[in-house]
Amino acid sequence: MTAREALIESASTAWRPRGAGAVRAHPAWADLDEAGRLAAYEATRLLRRLEAALDPEGLSTTARAVLARISG
Amino acid sequence: MAAADPAAISPGDELLAAIGAGDTAGFARWLAGAEGRLRDSLRSFAGIVDVEAVLQESLLRVWQVAPRVIPDGRPDPLLRLAIRIARNFAVSELRRSRLEPVEIEALERLAATGGELPAGPDRSGDPILRRAIEECRRRLPRKPALALQARLESGGTEPDDQLAERVGMRRNTFLQNFTRARRFLADCLRKRGIDLAVELS
Repeated sequence: MTAREALIESASTAWRPRGAGAVRAHPAWADLDEAGRLAAYEATRLLRRLEAALDPEGLSTTARAVLARISG
Repeated sequence: MAAADPAAISPGDELLAAIGAGDTAGFARWLAGAEGRLRDSLRSFAGIVDVEAVLQESLLRVWQVAPRVIPDGRPDPLLRLAIRIARNFAVSELRRSRLEPVEIEALERLAATGGELPAGPDRSGDPILRRAIEECRRRLPRKPALALQARLESGGTEPDDQLAERVGMRRNTFLQNFTRARRFLADCLRKRGIDLAVELS
């Protein structure tokens, strides 16, 4: 796995840092060039579809992360 | 005061009312159908903002303002609002970055066109696809299966470092196994005549 591939895979997680304010970009995303960011977007798009299809409620990890934050 | 005409209340309006009243299960149902379309609406920003972060922040804001949303008779009021919020948030993120003013102006024009819904049907809840993915998942080798399961179970609440440690892998090994899982599933689905990339295009 190249360093670039590792960054793309890292950025595909739904985990994002959050301090007192808004949800922030993933550190790995910040290290990618524009083509890498587009690749991360497309990989994430497919991944969320897979996750939602595997989830009994049809929820991706993005949706789960949002619901977890709402529930505190 | 005149009673509401039951025929004028759509299932979408009922879901919006439930979400506005703080029904998280209703919000989860809405998320299941809306997330993909919202993500697709942000594709033009994907090279310059972290769409995943913008998406999550926008969904949190939608939840906060949902009690004040009034149906306007057009379909998907909450999704249209979510797209506007997401595009405006993306532009505000760009303002915080070092982007050239001319690029920001172009993106502001793009954001101003927001609100229209991405084309395509709601693809959530396809039972045939779900069965195929589950069958392919059962065939995953052990370590890739562990990496995939760790991310699914954490539901985006923990960074990969923590997940890797939990399953006894170094971070890079965890990422390699996750990549293997993703590729294995894509190949397995393709052998069954399902190409996710084509389906989502």
